[in-house]
Amino acid sequence: MTALLVLCNGLGQINGAVLAFCRWIGAACLGLMVVVILMQVFFRYALGSALAWPEEASRFLMLWLMGLMAATAFRRGGFVAIDMMVAKMPARLGMLTTSVLLLLTIITLAVSVQIGLSEVTGIGGQFETDSLWLPVMVTESGWLKMPKSWMMASMLVCVTLLLAVAVELFLRSLATLLGARDGLSVIPETITLGSE
Amino acid sequence: MLSLFVPLFLVFLFLGLPIVFGMVIAPALLLWANGDTRDIVLLYRNVYEGMNSFPLMAIPFFMLTGELMNSAGISRRIVGFAAAMVGHFRGGLAQVNVVDSMMFAGISGSAVADVSALGSIIIPQMEAKGYPKPFAAGITAASAIIGPIIPPSGIMIIYAYVMGESVAALFLAGIVPGIFMGLCLMLTIRFMADSYGLPAAQQKASWRDAGRAGAEAIWPLMTPVLLMGGILSGVFTPTEAAAVAAGYSFFIGLFVMRTLKVSQIPGVLSRAALTSSVVLLLVGTAMAFKTVAALAHTPEMLADSILAVSDNPLVLLFLVNVLLFVVGMFLDAGPTIIILGPILAPLFVAIGVDPVHFAVVMVVNCTVGLLTPPMGLVLFATSAVSGLRVETVTRAVMPFLIVEMLVILVLTYVPAISLTLPRLLGYVAWP
Repeated sequence: MTALLVLCNGLGQINGAVLAFCRWIGAACLGLMVVVILMQVFFRYALGSALAWPEEASRFLMLWLMGLMAATAFRRGGFVAIDMMVAKMPARLGMLTTSVLLLLTIITLAVSVQIGLSEVTGIGGQFETDSLWLPVMVTESGWLKMPKSWMMASMLVCVTLLLAVAVELFLRSLATLLGARDGLSVIPETITLGSE
Repeated sequence: MLSLFVPLFLVFLFLGLPIVFGMVIAPALLLWANGDTRDIVLLYRNVYEGMNSFPLMAIPFFMLTGELMNSAGISRRIVGFAAAMVGHFRGGLAQVNVVDSMMFAGISGSAVADVSALGSIIIPQMEAKGYPKPFAAGITAASAIIGPIIPPSGIMIIYAYVMGESVAALFLAGIVPGIFMGLCLMLTIRFMADSYGLPAAQQKASWRDAGRAGAEAIWPLMTPVLLMGGILSGVFTPTEAAAVAAGYSFFIGLFVMRTLKVSQIPGVLSRAALTSSVVLLLVGTAMAFKTVAALAHTPEMLADSILAVSDNPLVLLFLVNVLLFVVGMFLDAGPTIIILGPILAPLFVAIGVDPVHFAVVMVVNCTVGLLTPPMGLVLFATSAVSGLRVETVTRAVMPFLIVEMLVILVLTYVPAISLTLPRLLGYVAWP
């Protein structure tokens, strides 16, 4: 039991620290998205010269925003779910149901990580983005078109972080099932998030 | 075998699996059982491509605009302006509650944000003036659902994206129904004033006071003008308009009203990004779900069974209202639209219902669903803000909920209410 609690709380600490870092980057992505789109409008109307890259750059930032932030929402209970039936079940049965569903989620996310990895490293990822350039010194011009894998990696990071959180939540549900709930560290807050 | 994915999804849903996972796990399991493992890769790609969209970017920008305005403390200014306008009517503060929700709807587009931002100010004010607290909470919840009907609206953007409709057309189609809903609530308050013994009206604000209140509220209230003006004049795309609205909120909060502090910005960005990530992932999985639904011929199968009941559009529209009311008891607006939109909309468009009209019927139904127990998100938010039990808020909402259901019926059977404005501006063809 002690080993399970140590594992749970240890993974919780790692997830907490990694996701806190991700939240900073995700928030910065949103700020940059606004700046990039405002630049697009400014250049088009004030300078009469539409830029080619803002649309793709802002999509790049949005994908990374999602990839970095979604796991925090999952960890804090922010994903929309109907927990009415589980709440009405006897406590142990409810927790057992949650554990089984988390196990199913872990398997799906593990497969997704595998697919994501092959997508990023596969041929699709080697294609160039339409308008995003990287300043590098290896080419004569000093600029290189960004490969699509840099955008696709956002999804891989997303499913990897979700997997780490799902494993943590599964271990927590196991610990609760085994009656060690009091020894679990507290996850900051529970929120429900959506467009409503 | 793939046709079983909807029942399997529903089983997962009612067992408490988050919807984003259910929409992927149910079809993935069946594909795996069928030996179609290559299609699981396509499912993954559909989720990614579903999110890789420029129009979808309006969602994080509108979330950010709402967060910025809230942090800049616009709620007090809006309540002050609404009080100067309608505070002298019978049941004055209740009327103010509805009018400030209509104004706030033009800025935030979120019912929960409306309850949190305005409810925390207006409910204590109403209580102090002698209004029963449950009544104050009830009208706050009932009027908050105008938020996603009057543009901007997060769920309308989701609908437009998932169903391939014009965001501008949906935004235009939501304006009159939202105002109509607000006016019906105001009339209800007037009729309830005597039987509920609501306090006498406050003194009518002088022109000077009304002008001062208007001047204080003018900056945030310019947001919808900027937004819709920009979109309709063709200056901005809806996504660009949303970014401009976010930039505008930042500018007026920091430099004009000076009520937003630089130290608040990281928190504002983080909250908006967190909510956006959930919605984006939900939409991404919905696009994969929609593809599987199409492959499994789910809309056709559902259409056959619905048309077996009746092929009269009026009867079917009534049935869809009943269906959405029941679903609204268990699901929030966004997921309902994402799951049922691709299944129901093609059927109704095929029997001659205008797609924009159907979108409005769905959106209004889904937002009213936020008020229906046991899973009414706005009921929970109002309970948290007012400190009343959810059951108390639910009882207090009932008279207004009945009125809103009648409004839905009127909107369903009088398409002109939602379609006239987009038709006049050329976004929807005249019949």
